[in-house]
Amino acid sequence: MPSILILRDNQYDPQYRNMRDVFVLGAGTTKYGKSHLSARELALEASKKALVESGIEPTDVQAGFIANAFSLSEKQGHLGPIIMSGLGIADVPASTIESACSSGASAIREAWVNIGAGIYDCMLVTGVEKVSQLDTITATTYFSFGSDYIFEGACGASFPGLYGSIARAHMSKYGTTEEQMANVSVKNHENGMLNPNAHFHKKITVDDVMNSIVVASPLKLYDACPFSDGAASAVLCSEGFMLKMNGHASEAIKIVASGRAGGTGALHQRPDLTTLNAAVLAGREAFKQAGLAPKDIDFLEVHDCFTIAELVALEDLGFYPRGEAAKATQEGQTRINGETPVNPSGGLKAKGHPVGATGVGQVVEVYEQLNSRAGHRQVKDARIALTHNVGATGGSCAVHIFEKN
Amino acid sequence: MLGNKCEKCQAEFFPPVNICRACKSIDLKPLEMPGAGKILSYTLQKESVAGFEEQEPMVFGLVELSNGVRLVAQIVDFPYESLKIGSKVKAVFRRVKADGPSGQIYYGYKFGPPRSPRETSATEE
Ligand SMILES: [Zn+2]
Repeated sequence: MPSILILRDNQYDPQYRNMRDVFVLGAGTTKYGKSHLSARELALEASKKALVESGIEPTDVQAGFIANAFSLSEKQGHLGPIIMSGLGIADVPASTIESACSSGASAIREAWVNIGAGIYDCMLVTGVEKVSQLDTITATTYFSFGSDYIFEGACGASFPGLYGSIARAHMSKYGTTEEQMANVSVKNHENGMLNPNAHFHKKITVDDVMNSIVVASPLKLYDACPFSDGAASAVLCSEGFMLKMNGHASEAIKIVASGRAGGTGALHQRPDLTTLNAAVLAGREAFKQAGLAPKDIDFLEVHDCFTIAELVALEDLGFYPRGEAAKATQEGQTRINGETPVNPSGGLKAKGHPVGATGVGQVVEVYEQLNSRAGHRQVKDARIALTHNVGATGGSCAVHIFEKN
Repeated sequence: MLGNKCEKCQAEFFPPVNICRACKSIDLKPLEMPGAGKILSYTLQKESVAGFEEQEPMVFGLVELSNGVRLVAQIVDFPYESLKIGSKVKAVFRRVKADGPSGQIYYGYKFGPPRSPRETSATEE
């Protein structure tokens, strides 16, 4: 009898009984890119920005979460007390949330749970990553620790290789082309040009992508996001806390849904290589919770660690039928002025991917967009936004939906 | 490649599991995996992870064994140009990557063409 590949191991629908509404009071980010600063310095810079944006003092913070995946590469674990001490609030409890590349959204999620449950009224969530001190092979190896290492990384498979396998399977099943994937990169670089905090400010063409060196066929260098340093931070609070904040309350963003799901750590254990089941489940949960559908979303920030990942994300979340996101991207539907703007920030591809910071950085973009403060990359009349943050090849995923208060 | 099999519902697993993912039974017996499989997807990887530097660029594939079990493995002795989704492959026993710091040699499975020219197959079919 053939082995069994399971889509969902349990049928449990999480119950959110008596949860209070949770808001993003303020959010801020460092510039993404290569930095000479350490993780703690980056985290403190972003945290201070979030506190200023929120109009609160460090002493208003009741608890914190740090999102980080690779601080041990800097020989520093236990970032919670390091960062809280740096803010002068050493007695405030804070711990690290690690969920590979979705650490950021997972930390937002856990703060949402804590505040929603009535345990805290004000929490600081800071995501940070510092990897530019590592050479490429060491960085790639660290990243592969987020896969099912013994059965993937230790067999030589890197993340570009695993996503390359997803890309080839998608091309074979749906006829997606390398040129179509290149369009994702061109679009995200175009958006990144408009984001002062982006890692790359460089306009590229489809030819540039097609002619860049092959990293893991069919993916090329310009199909892949960079290793970035950076930090992003957000202050989450209850409605009662927000209302005490006078002026700053008018810029608060309501978290209308938080969905999450898991998948097998190993890509090969999934029944279908062209979809991340965790993203399908997390998206479904978020839409159900919010009582919304893809057509209600004004823009999205999705996890485009590779160009193929953005196409798969749009299909997993139900924005396009299977196999049709590539054509929609080619037609310009996902550009800032298109029907479904995707990654106006530049996404992981151009804004950058400081792993632990990425999911929190998506929230910073939502905060700025929904407050009409995104400058030249502003999505017109943006009121409802969705974020999608994936761990590794889909071992974890968190999807959030936000609405301007 | 030692996996296991559920005594209750016959589902087969590699790596071995403690609880059957299909029927949740804990009654599982060790089972040697078949060496024959086919390619589900594959890639030519320029840079791998530490320990594989001398083999770059390397090809690896997602392989489905004849019993339906799936795994990732390096593909060797197979001309990249002729590799396709659906290509038949067979497990071979090889040195996997660079030796460890105290001289330990890492052996394991890789996959090659159905009739591998140089090696004996890792498992009996
Ligand atoms: Zn069973």
